[in-house]
Amino acid sequence: MPDVQTLVNEFLNQLKKRKIEGSQATAKQTAELLRSVISQQRVPHTNQTTALINAVRAVGEQLIAANPVELAVGNIVRRVLHIIREEDLSLATAAMAGLGVSAASDDEDDVERGENSVLSAAVVAAAARSTLRPPSLQTLLEDTSESAAAPHTSSSGGESDGRSRSVEKGSKSRKLKHDVLEAVNELIQDISTCYEQIAEQAVEHIHHNEVILTLGSSNTVLEFLYAAKEKQRSFKVFVAEGAPRYQGHLLAKELAARGLQTTIITDSAVFAMISRVNMVIVGAHAVMANGGVIAPVGLNMVALAAQRHAVPFVVLAGSHKLCPLYPHNPEVLLNELRSPSELLDFGEFSDCMDSASGTGSLHVVNPTFDYVPPKLVSLFITDTGGHNPSYVYRLIADYYSADDLVVKRRPTTGS
Amino acid sequence: MWWRSASFIMDRQQNEAALKGESSPNPNPNPKISAYYETRAAHHGVVTSDWLAQAQAAIGPEPDPEPQPRPDPEKPFSVIDEFNNWRKQPHLAEAVAAIRALAAVIRWSEATTMMQLEMELKKASDSLKSWDATSISLTAGCDLFLRYVTRTSALEYEDFNSAKSRLIERADKFGEISYKARNVIAMLSQDFIFDGCTILVHGFSRVVLQVLKLAAHNNKLFRVFCTEGRPDRTGLRLANELAKLDVPVKLLIDSAVAYTMDEVDMVFVGADGVVESGGIINMMGTYQIALVAHSMNKPVYVAAESYKFARLYPLDQKDLAPAIRPIDFGVPIPSKVEVERSARDYTPPQYLTLLFTDLGVLTPSVVSDELIQLYL
Repeated sequence: MPDVQTLVNEFLNQLKKRKIEGSQATAKQTAELLRSVISQQRVPHTNQTTALINAVRAVGEQLIAANPVELAVGNIVRRVLHIIREEDLSLATAAMAGLGVSAASDDEDDVERGENSVLSAAVVAAAARSTLRPPSLQTLLEDTSESAAAPHTSSSGGESDGRSRSVEKGSKSRKLKHDVLEAVNELIQDISTCYEQIAEQAVEHIHHNEVILTLGSSNTVLEFLYAAKEKQRSFKVFVAEGAPRYQGHLLAKELAARGLQTTIITDSAVFAMISRVNMVIVGAHAVMANGGVIAPVGLNMVALAAQRHAVPFVVLAGSHKLCPLYPHNPEVLLNELRSPSELLDFGEFSDCMDSASGTGSLHVVNPTFDYVPPKLVSLFITDTGGHNPSYVYRLIADYYSADDLVVKRRPTTGS
Repeated sequence: MWWRSASFIMDRQQNEAALKGESSPNPNPNPKISAYYETRAAHHGVVTSDWLAQAQAAIGPEPDPEPQPRPDPEKPFSVIDEFNNWRKQPHLAEAVAAIRALAAVIRWSEATTMMQLEMELKKASDSLKSWDATSISLTAGCDLFLRYVTRTSALEYEDFNSAKSRLIERADKFGEISYKARNVIAMLSQDFIFDGCTILVHGFSRVVLQVLKLAAHNNKLFRVFCTEGRPDRTGLRLANELAKLDVPVKLLIDSAVAYTMDEVDMVFVGADGVVESGGIINMMGTYQIALVAHSMNKPVYVAAESYKFARLYPLDQKDLAPAIRPIDFGVPIPSKVEVERSARDYTPPQYLTLLFTDLGVLTPSVVSDELIQLYL
């Protein structure tokens, strides 16, 4: 598969050089790359799921290492792994149901079948459900580990040993890949339409004559505000410019061009203006498992100001930004330090910044992200609706399976 | 007060009606001191000569206890005796003992239908619960097992005898589940212990010890502040245990918590019970440690197995039946002076950061979600 490898390398290069910006673009490209990895992957007759998972993991590991700060990459890799597991499971349960019926008619592999049909359909269904769901009190006493393992191996490994059913088996392997690809396509579709789905909810949150404050620039916020304007809501927007990249200027320009009443303020004026604001609406870089937010630098300050004046702090985030990790993980604590040229012009300060000779004593630190703790966030608006920070864990349980939290292969299994 | 709220009044009426027929079979021999506390004192109590062996049993792989001999045929089977047998074993959590006792009810039951069996179990668990109303994990364990008996879909398709043996088998395995849960919790919490951190712990908890033990085993560099844990002085035992692992330990008197809090990076506590609000019920002093930690912006982590989740919703400290314990002040106390003898307090969820359970790392609000899924 030389062509996939070149695609992967190209993407890795772009990630490393930070050529791709914004988590949506990254997420979409990651999903597209993984789609081609899966479609090019040749699946063996036994253990197709493991083969697919390993292939995705191998690529995913490289992608995450290329830009560990861009959490969306890891999220998408985990989502795809979850999709593979889910599709395999639905096929396995379907196969088990079929097996129970046809057990009497086929005389080959009788011993195996006998064992399988002993397991009643209900047991299999329960076991199947519990392998993907996170552990819960409900399943604490049910023997998940033993019975879940049994149907699993027999569906993907044992069953396909029968030589007579190679035709059927071939179609099944194609079916798994086909189903997975379809689900990944859906995922890509979801990522590209998440703006619209978030923007649809704008009318419920923005009311007449309100004052909205935002910082920096986010496409999601732009679409959200514009959607409210479209629905004949008249409101004012304060845009904090978002030093040092001043993306707020671009947002303000775009909003004004679309006919919204826009006021631009400096970042340092946020606290002065916050008492006049009805709601703070911002975008995010990533949403962590505890409901905390990794956001453009400066937002923690805005959140604190909002809390001081009891102004709701609303975060817009597509579901690809939900990250199943906690902010204590070392890989999450990373921050991107950008070029000092965004702060200072080279010529002006070059004499006191001369680090090569060791005489310069002026340092410039230009971090990209802030961490906003969950207690400062009032509401998350995702493409599936509005959620409390303490509810984020539930969304994450829906989107990811617990086995995939660590993408890196264990040293015992990987080489 | 909880016994005045509508749902509990109904529960109590039912319980009392159920118990009215028989005279309470084995009244608590010492009503002044709660049975819950007795167990606790026996398990992680005052530093004695044999605590070494007990600690070893609490964290090493536990040997499967011998099957109980069948009680004398002339003596009627009593679930409370059975429970008392189990709870004497030092490494066994109270919920496990309760479930084992209920399994014995199934084993010696003469019921012939599932319904009969369920009714017998209900009666047994009610008498267990009313025998010691102060133990939360006993109540939680009974509820969990009854729920399993009535809910499990795997039982529906089997005949009565195999269902019965499956129930007994699961109950016997429960000890293993609880042991495994401790390991899962220890694994989950490793990400949160970073090199160079200072951890404050309160009292003795098997789960917390397991967490710290694994961290020491993984060559993490950290130090531990142990509170003394008056009046049982359970903190001394933890300090001893940690010193053996070569973890730097500092002992504090209970009143020095606020004094040392600025050096502390995180607070780690165990729990006797996790209630529906997401708060915890734990050894006396946990609440004030959590308050101090909260006011100084330090995270408070709770390590608790999921079978400690209980269907209680305490509204304030006095909302629970207090577990009474003896307190020795060293000098005679005049009879006019009242002594606060409750053994534990309630920490509301807003002072807790995260709960480490075998279900994963949870925010306090997840607890009610789990309980609702199971019991509604």
